[in-house]
Formats: sequence, structure tokens, C-alpha cells
Amino acid sequence: MQRRDWTDIIGGSLLLIFGLWFLWHAQNHYNLGELRRMGPGAFPAGLGLLNALFGLLILVPAFFRKGEMPVPAIRPLLAIIAGGLSFAFLIEPAGLVPATVALVFVVALAEQKQRWLRTAILAAALSVMAVLVFTKGLGIPVPAFRWWSY
Amino acid sequence: MEVLGMLGMGFATALTPENLFYCFLGVFLGTFIGVLPGIGALATISMLLPLTFHVPATTAIIMLAGIYYGASYGGSTASILLNLPGTPSAAVACLDGYPMAKQGRAGVALFMTTIASFVGASLGIVILTLFAPKLSEVALSFGPADYFAMMLLGLVAAATLAQGSPAKGIAMVLFGLCLGMVGTDVQTGQQRFTFDVPYLSDGVSLVAIAMGIFGVAEVIGSIGRVTNAEVAAQKITMRSMMPTKADWKASWKPMLRGTGVGSFFGALPGAGGTIASFMSYAVEKKVAKDPSRFGKGAIEGITAPESANNAAAQTAFIPTLTLGIPGDSVMALMLGALIIQGIQPGPRLMTEYPELFWGLIASFWLGNIMLLILNIPLIGLWVRMLRIPYSILYPAILLFICIGVFSINNSYFDVLVVMAFGVLGYVMIKLKFEPAPLLLGFILGPLMEEHLRRAMLLSRGDLAVFYERPISASFLGVTAILLLWAIYASIRGVSAASRLRAQAKAAEG
Repeated sequence: MQRRDWTDIIGGSLLLIFGLWFLWHAQNHYNLGELRRMGPGAFPAGLGLLNALFGLLILVPAFFRKGEMPVPAIRPLLAIIAGGLSFAFLIEPAGLVPATVALVFVVALAEQKQRWLRTAILAAALSVMAVLVFTKGLGIPVPAFRWWSY
Repeated sequence: MEVLGMLGMGFATALTPENLFYCFLGVFLGTFIGVLPGIGALATISMLLPLTFHVPATTAIIMLAGIYYGASYGGSTASILLNLPGTPSAAVACLDGYPMAKQGRAGVALFMTTIASFVGASLGIVILTLFAPKLSEVALSFGPADYFAMMLLGLVAAATLAQGSPAKGIAMVLFGLCLGMVGTDVQTGQQRFTFDVPYLSDGVSLVAIAMGIFGVAEVIGSIGRVTNAEVAAQKITMRSMMPTKADWKASWKPMLRGTGVGSFFGALPGAGGTIASFMSYAVEKKVAKDPSRFGKGAIEGITAPESANNAAAQTAFIPTLTLGIPGDSVMALMLGALIIQGIQPGPRLMTEYPELFWGLIASFWLGNIMLLILNIPLIGLWVRMLRIPYSILYPAILLFICIGVFSINNSYFDVLVVMAFGVLGYVMIKLKFEPAPLLLGFILGPLMEEHLRRAMLLSRGDLAVFYERPISASFLGVTAILLLWAIYASIRGVSAASRLRAQAKAAEG
């Protein structure tokens, strides 16, 4: 327990900054027009302003109550995102099966305990399923292995 | 009689082998993910959105809808057996369902929740069938100012009635509206917030947002948190499922009351199944002769809320299909799926795409009958599903997200965008922002802006149009009350949802 509600202080500040930036960008880059004929900037500018106001409404009371400091779970976050990225960068050059295997092994790192055999079986099963459902079933033009198609 | 003719045409659409197959797939998946805690209808529908690019519109909507109402059937299974709700709307079923399981009546509880679900859903569909055509006739007379006011009410209601702080809910709606501004302005062709990135000129992709925030972020947040509890060591046999005469007698009235409460809250924008089930539990406690039985395995404590949340799952389609205003975030995704297919939801949907509208309603009937079969003879299968460890489930979820989003444009860039929204969604979870209102804002944003600008153009810039038209004035009045209450509540630190939950919790005593 902290003396201030840091969750809402961080959240409110982020919204306030985002709202002010959105307002500034809309005002400076797009025509606001007038009420009778609103320009492309008017609605976004209003939204930015309201965003900033609600950010303030969340931020200010948070200074006056106890709360908690949000602690992100770094390990799952990094492992899951890395898994997605490895899929993204392997699917075109290498094909569906290598991308699937890479994803399954990388996201498995999100957990504390590693069970390699289980992960390997899961990778194999999901690869077969992915090829059957997506390449064969739905006809998505991704080969299982890229080097076979050259 | 006209309705019956239209319904006949609907059945002709829904009974084609392809639609029947996708309807089954939808309700099957819906039950599956409803049973499993840690993955909900929102994440599943997000994951399956890419499929809508590969099949016709009606088929896609039939399947997505099946997931939605299927999940509300399955949700109570984990509540009863594990004291852990499979879906948020099934949280109330824990209160009396788990005590029933401890008394060795898990089978009866599972059987009666399925019956209650079927009763609630069937009556919900009848209400939908009768009211939707009337409402869409009325809605045809709405002007742009009325539409703007109605959408505003929908957004504010969804944000303030959602879980957590109302001010944070509204902030998320606003953030979603901002995201909806990215892309080409329809009226002037101006590129807004695109920063010369060609990918952004069509706007941020709905699929990428939904998959990132509800799929990837949910998985990150759930790892290490979702553990497989021991399934109550009970064999669920057909014999153990048979309710006694007293169970039937104690249940039929609560089911009807639950259906009434559920149908009402389902049709209201922003309320939905969770609030409906808590409300109907509170109602049952009020009318009961002996309220002290609640929380100790009273059968009306599971049948009434189950009828309520399933009726709500059906009537939620009323505002979505007739007005084009989604009641909750799942409905917002359905609207998004329609828009992807080039169908503009609104009062004209029913006359312009009758086979879609009536086909969908007919599929509800078929889907609910399938659910009855899936949930009674096959209940043992679902109970076994509860033993699937999350460490096998989440790599599969992520794989489906990645392949699904890749398949839309065959572009690896889309996968990167999903991951970026995954990070954003995780930040939101950590800062205790409810992500669902964001989606509503994102989908309604461009529509709201269009109606506001058209209203201003027609009234020559006179804001009086909003309070001089009775329809718009009453929508705005209700919105103002909700907003004032939200500001008051954010200062006092209370919310409608938490108060309702406290009421239901009081039953545990």
C-alpha cells in the first residue's frame, strides 16, 4: 500500500498528456471550421479536450487517497510479444510450420517452469492443425515450408 | 402473420448446410470457451473476426452470434463445479451453485441451469422477434441529431455501468473515439492522424485492436494467474442430473421473472448480461419467503440469474440490429463485422438485408436447440475440458491470433500491429482501465462525428436542435443524469457494478 494511488496518477497523467497532444495536433493540422460547417479538425479537437479533462478528473483525486503501485509482469509480457514477433518475421521467409514452432517455444518461456517435451509435442500438434485448418481448409496461400515451394 | 412469413424465409436461410455448420461451430466454441475460465466471448470473437473475410456476411454473423449466446450457457459450469465463473455474467451462479455442488447436487444444478438458459433464451428470442421490427420502424423517423444523442447515451451508459470507476470508463470511451478518428475524413478527404503512413489511411484495423487488447493482453495478464483448480470429484451421471418435483416447482416462476429482468436489461444499451443476472438474483431474494436460504444452495438462486443472462444475450441484439447502437462490446464487435462486410447497421438493415436479419433470428432457435443437446447429454465432456491446463491453451490462442490476422491481407505487418495493441492493452489492465468501452468508442466514433456534422449542417449551426427535438432531448437528459452521477461517484469512489455485487454478496451473509 502506498500513500498515494499511483495506478490512477500514472493512468490520469498519460490520458492528460495524450488528450492535450491530440487537441494540439487537431488544432494545428486540420481545419476546425465553424458550427454551421464543422471542419475535419473540430470533432477530434473536442475529443482531445475531453480526454485531457477526464485525465485530470482521474489524476487529481488519486493524490488524496491510498493506493498501489502497478507492477507489470515483465516475463510473460516479453515472452508473449517476442513470440508474436518471431511468428511475424518467420512466416513469409520460412513458412507456416517454422513460424508456429518458433511461436510455441518462445511463448512457453512466459512460464517459470519449462517442460520441453510437452512444448515440443504441443508445437508439433499445433503445426499439423494449423496446416490442416488454414492452408488446406480455408485455403490461405501460406505454404507449410517455404523452401519446398521454390 | 407477416412475421411468420419472414421467419419462414429466415429458416430457409439458416438451414442451408453451410449456415447450419457454422451455427454449430459457433455454439460449440461458445460453450467451450464459456466453460473455461480465463478466456471469454470477447477474446474468442476477436480471434475469429478474420474468418468473416472468408465466408458470406450472414454465415459469419450466425457463427459469431453463436459464440456469444453459447458462452452464456457454458459460463455457469465452472461456477458450479469450481466456484470460479467461466464468464463474468455467471459470477452469480457461484453463490448458490457451488453450495449445491458441495451438497452433492452438482448434476441437478448443471441440468437446471441449462433448462433455465433455454427458457430465458427462447423467450428472449420471442421478444426480439416481436419488438425489433416495431423499433426499426420508429427509428426510421430519427434525424441526425437524434442519432447523435442516442449514441452519446449508449456510450455514456456503457462506460458508467461497466465495472470499475465510471470516470475511467468514460475516459476509455473517449480514447476509443480518438483512435476512431485515425484515417481519411469521409466528408473532406483529409488525412487525419495518419502521419503519412499509407497503412493508416483506412484507419486503425478493428481486428488488430480487438485481437491485441482482448486476445494478446488477456493472455499476458492471465499467465500465472489462472491455475487449474481441482474439479469437484463428482461423477455427473444422467441419473444424478434429474431434478426432483420440488426443484421444478421452485424454479419455474424464478425462470420467468429472470427472463423478464434479463430481457429488459439486455435491450438497454450498456447494461447487459452481468448486471441482469445480479439484478435478478436481488429480485429473487426480495420476493422469497425465506431469504436466508440464499447462498446455501437455493435452486432459484441459479435458475433465475441463468434465465436472465441468457434472455439478455438475445435481447441485446435488439438495439444492435434495429438502431445500429451496440449495447456492449461484444455487440460492438458484431457491428464491426457487419461494417467490414460493407453492411451499414441501422433501421434499414431489416428491409435491405431481410435474409440476414431473419436468417440470424432463425439461427438463434436452431442454435439454442443445439445448445440444449450439447449441454445435457454431453455435460461430461465439458466437465473434462475444465482439466485442460492453461499452459497448453495459451500458445494455441496466440497461434490462432497470429495466423488469423496474417490471413486477412497476407501481411506480417498486421501481426506487428496486433502485438503493439497487446502491449497497450496490458498497460490498460495494469492501470485498471476497462478495455471494453474503448471498443464501443472506436466503432461509434466515426458514426457519431458524421451525425453531429450533418445535424449542425441541417440546423445551420444552431445547437438548439438537440434540445428542441423531443427524442434527442430525452436521450440527452438521461445522459446528463448519468454523467453527473458518474462524476459524483468518481469523487466518492463507488460504482453501480460494485454496489450491485455487494448486494448479491450480502446474500452469502
